This record gives sequence, structure tokens and C-alpha cells, in this order.
Amino acid sequence: MGKEATFYQEFEVFSKRTPSASFQHQFSLLAPNKEMALVMAQENFMRREPVVDIWIVNRKDIRGLEGEEKLILGRLNNKDYRETKGYGYLKKKWRHYEQQMLDEKEILSWAGDKK
Amino acid sequence: MVLAATRTEEEMQTEFLARIEAGEKIEADDWMPEEYRVALIKLISMHGISEIMGALPEKEWVPKAPSLRRKLGIMSKVQDEMGHGQLLLRVAEDLLKPYDRNRGDLMQDLFNGDLKFHNVFHMETKTWADAGLIGWLVDGAAIITQTNMLGASYGPYARALQRICAEEVFHAQHGESIILALAEGTAEQRAMIQESLNGWWESLLMFFGPASSNTTGSSKQDVTIKYRIRTKTNEQLRQDFFDKYIPRIQSLGLTIPDPTLRYNDEEKLWEYAQPDWSKFKKIIKNEGPRSQARLNLRRTSYEYNAWVRDALSAVID
Repeated sequence: MGKEATFYQEFEVFSKRTPSASFQHQFSLLAPNKEMALVMAQENFMRREPVVDIWIVNRKDIRGLEGEEKLILGRLNNKDYRETKGYGYLKKKWRHYEQQMLDEKEILSWAGDKK
Repeated sequence: MVLAATRTEEEMQTEFLARIEAGEKIEADDWMPEEYRVALIKLISMHGISEIMGALPEKEWVPKAPSLRRKLGIMSKVQDEMGHGQLLLRVAEDLLKPYDRNRGDLMQDLFNGDLKFHNVFHMETKTWADAGLIGWLVDGAAIITQTNMLGASYGPYARALQRICAEEVFHAQHGESIILALAEGTAEQRAMIQESLNGWWESLLMFFGPASSNTTGSSKQDVTIKYRIRTKTNEQLRQDFFDKYIPRIQSLGLTIPDPTLRYNDEEKLWEYAQPDWSKFKKIIKNEGPRSQARLNLRRTSYEYNAWVRDALSAVID
């Protein structure tokens, strides 16, 4: 194949539903170039849902993990010092001082004007 | 990788089946048994090309649809079917990589008869009721088989089906809307749906495939169930279709063209007259009433547009 001209290049398509959303992978498509890939992305995957932005990425520019490589993603289950669950005992402690614990739910609720 | 080299084919096969049993999803780059890859390629390339060939009988009705809203409705459906085809062909193409084959090869397979398309899309659509009935019952049958594979062990296919099934809901309702308008119309319009049902009933039975490989000599159902690509047999899916649609068909005052049709209360199964399976075999060999005409339409547009592919082709490094 190498040097032969092809009409079929592989692109991965990503899109955002709303201005505050993250990009999400949609699917892949074949197109001869980026411009056609953008048109095809809209035709193929965005006929109904709201969309505010689109990315297309040529697959040859993506470095992913192959089968066995995915084994490096396994985690040991002994890292609770990294997570809030390793500090759950604080709840009881704070109760002793008649205070409520500031947990994730509480802290993330402080967005914007709320306190 | 070193790890892979130290394991035998048999060990890898066992591990693979264990992954599937555990409900894990297999991805395009994962190792998979040849039998699994081949079964997926056959199933998904046939499904994908059927979406595209299925758009052809329906597109015939765009200029003839009875109102602007109906034209827009059926046009959106045709566009969806082409989109589903694109989606599914991508899944098949990734599986074809080890064989160094691509979309161009799939098109050639279609043209020379190696790649089959669904029996229903070899048939003629004679009236607007046919267009409605396809949406209602053919898409209804497709929804039964496709939702059964939503949990398929092959991740990319399951994800494609998720998108497809969501749109099929619109297709089914689009068909219902056409059929209900006719059913609530004049005596002539009601007769038109009855005639359409008479013509399509046999094709609808065939849609699910024969109950066992004894009927036509081959069947993919055992291997697709073994690898958890689907969970139900052809006959179970056909019975599901009966359960859901027979009461609806009858509620509209339509008669199913099978005097032997009855529900067996003890076995909880529908008894029905078998379609002519030798006819089915001929149809899927591209010897159906509209097989060659529709293949020619695809061929002509593929050849006619060859210059576009040539003009836009690029060398990739």
C-alpha cells in the first residue's frame, strides 16, 4: 500500500454538545481529507443532537495502547492515602468538635455565587 | 509482545472466552480468534451494506410521497440508513485490516455477489403502503434483531448499534404514522395496506433467517451466540416479533395472510406456516425480483463517481 494514493483515510470524530461540555468521541469515518471529514462528521453523526464544535483527527496521528500494553493501566488497590476514602475517619472526628465534614459533595456545591 | 509469544493459541482462546464470559468488551486492536473475527466481518459487513441497499427501495418513494412533510420524513430516513451503513462499514473495515482489505474491496464483493444483503431489500415496493409497512414492520423486525445485540461482546459493534437503535425508533414511528393515516383513511387506502401486508408477510418471516442450518445448509447463529454477539436464536427473535407485532397488526383490522397462524398457550409459542425457504435461498443469491436492478444502481453510481475518488485521492505518508 505505502505510496499509493488513497481516497480512504481514517478519521476519528469528536464533538461538544454544549459550550461547557467536554469533547466526546463519536465514531470514525473515511474521508479523502480533513475538509471532507468535517462535512462527513456532521452528516454521519450530528443529524439531530445539538452540537457546538467538532474535531476530526487523522488516525495516523493517534498513539494508543495495543492489547498487552493495556496491562500497564492496572492499579494496585492500596492507595487510599491518595483518595478521600482514606480520610473518611475525619467525619467522626469533626463530629466530636460539633462540626460538619467538608466533603466533596459539599465543596463542589460552592460553585459560583453559592457558599 | 513477549507475553503474547509465550502463550499458546489455545491458552489465548481460553482467556478470550473468559473475557467474554466476564462481560468484557473486545476492541478492534485486541487479539481475537479467527473464527470470531470472520463471524463479525460476515455479520457486520452484511448488516452495513444492507443499510445502504435498504435505502434504495425507500428513496424511490421520496418523489412520490404524498405531501411535503412526508417527503421530508422519508428523506431523513433514507439519510439515516446511509449513515448507519457508513457506521457499520467502519466497524467491518477495522476488522478487515489483517487481511489488507478496505471499503473498495467490500464494494467489489457486493457487486460480484460475495457480500449479500438482507432478503427484504431485494423486493419491490409497489405502493405508498409498502413504504409505510417497511418503516413499521421491516424496521420493527430490524429493531428486534438489533436490540438483541446491544450487549454484543464486540465493543465497536455494540456502540454502533446503540446509535442505530436510537434512530430506528424514529423510523418505526415514521412507518406507524404512514400506516395509521392509511388505516384511518378510505376503504381503498385500507385495502392498500392489506395488500401490502399480504405481499410482505413472507419476507418478514424470512427476515429472521431459518430456524436451523438444516433448512438452508448454513447458519451463523450458533457461532454468534457462542461468542455472545447475540443471545437469542433466529426462531426466538421471530417469536418476539410475533409477540410484539401480531396484536398491533390485528388491532388495525388487518388480516395476517396465514390461516394456520395461532398462539399455542401451552408452549407459549406462535404456530405459523413456514415461508418457502428455497425462495429465500434464491433471493439472497441476488435472484430476487429487484436484486439486479438495485445492484446495478449501486454499480452505476460507484462507477460514475470514480473520477471524484480519483481526483481527491492523496498519498499518505
